[in-house]
Amino acid sequence: MPSRNSILADLETIDDPEMPISIVDLGLIERVEILPHSSNGEADRADVEIDILPTFVGCPALDMIRDLVRKKLTARDDVNEVKVNFLFDPPWSVDRITESGRERLKEHGVTVPDHGSRLPVHDAPKLTTQVHTSAVPCPFCESRSTYLDSPFGPTRCRMIYYCEACRNSFEHMKRI
Amino acid sequence: MPIAEHLKPSLIELLLAAADDKLMLGHRNSDWTGLGPILEEDIAFSSLAQDEIAHAQTLYEFLSPIAAKDENELAFGRTAEEYRCATIVEPHDEFDWAAAITRQFFCDHFDRLRFRRLAQSNHKPLADLAKRIGAEEQVHVDHADSWMRRLGRGTTEAKERAQKALDQLAPLTATLFEPVDGEPALEKDGIYPALEQPMIELWRREVDAVLKDAGLSAAFTDVDPTKKGGRRGIHSKAFSELLDEMCEVYRIEPGAKW
Repeated sequence: MPSRNSILADLETIDDPEMPISIVDLGLIERVEILPHSSNGEADRADVEIDILPTFVGCPALDMIRDLVRKKLTARDDVNEVKVNFLFDPPWSVDRITESGRERLKEHGVTVPDHGSRLPVHDAPKLTTQVHTSAVPCPFCESRSTYLDSPFGPTRCRMIYYCEACRNSFEHMKRI
Repeated sequence: MPIAEHLKPSLIELLLAAADDKLMLGHRNSDWTGLGPILEEDIAFSSLAQDEIAHAQTLYEFLSPIAAKDENELAFGRTAEEYRCATIVEPHDEFDWAAAITRQFFCDHFDRLRFRRLAQSNHKPLADLAKRIGAEEQVHVDHADSWMRRLGRGTTEAKERAQKALDQLAPLTATLFEPVDGEPALEKDGIYPALEQPMIELWRREVDAVLKDAGLSAAFTDVDPTKKGGRRGIHSKAFSELLDEMCEVYRIEPGAKW
């Protein structure tokens, strides 16, 4: 029988198709269930059921994540069948991203809202769509002179910020 | 709570209306990919298109076991009369930026309320999904609101064009509020519970507050009755054209696997 930890270790090697961190660090894995597979007398093999929380509804990476998880785990000698469920309860949130995930994202120029922080309070901009929110520190120079340049970004879960200090654009994960 | 058998046809109607609105709107949004007036809005409208179509897809998947139809068949395999979208999502905006923003503004506020209602459903899988979609709608609402303000407080031309778009589209918003068949039963049974006040009143208060702040206004006169009926399958010519374009590939070989 595979241990839960060894299954998680395998999942940690699977990167999210749209983010430079693993699906475990991104906080997608809600539940790993290991069920003895005894129907054909193979007591050492187990079926594995995994609950995954999508970041965004209908995220285009979901089918790929399911395939990567199944391929990785069914390649093991001790795993028989793999079932992947996508659930919306509990909801995924940026707070599920691990510390190591946050660090690694920052290295790639992607920041994550602080744990437990609230949705940004959007001012009513006067002549621009630039929305000043509670300061997001720049991942490159740590300056807080940053503003939201676009609430939409390269993927559905990211927004684009601009740092006025070092004049770099960076990405910030959406808290929804 | 499982869905009572007699309520299933109405639930299918209700969720098809939500999904069809999003599918059409998302398709219209995608027209702007590569043509947005500024880079950020090119990204925004492409992202809105992705959001709307992904929401539609997830709603079709949710409906699939209830309607006993494959989600692709639900999305692309129906005749025009079987679609339940509101007339306001149908016309092409003719690449008029004010028209695109104004339609988005009206529809985003409507969707945020619609999914707030569905999030209170006594059918838990539906409520869970609706909560997530509703949270994403907040980003859309913020985007549309900031643009209405930008146009309303902008140059004379921006303001005039925004007001013209509001004058043209405001009457069509009535088509969003047309009920689907069996909606009262869904409300009574708690699958689509009522909000604290009638949805149209909450919606008007929300949009009026933003418009007032932007120095704009909308007259919600009733729409020409010939433009009504989207929720019952009566659609405009623009819709048939859009549907033909959207389903062109699917119709070559329905059920083809990619």
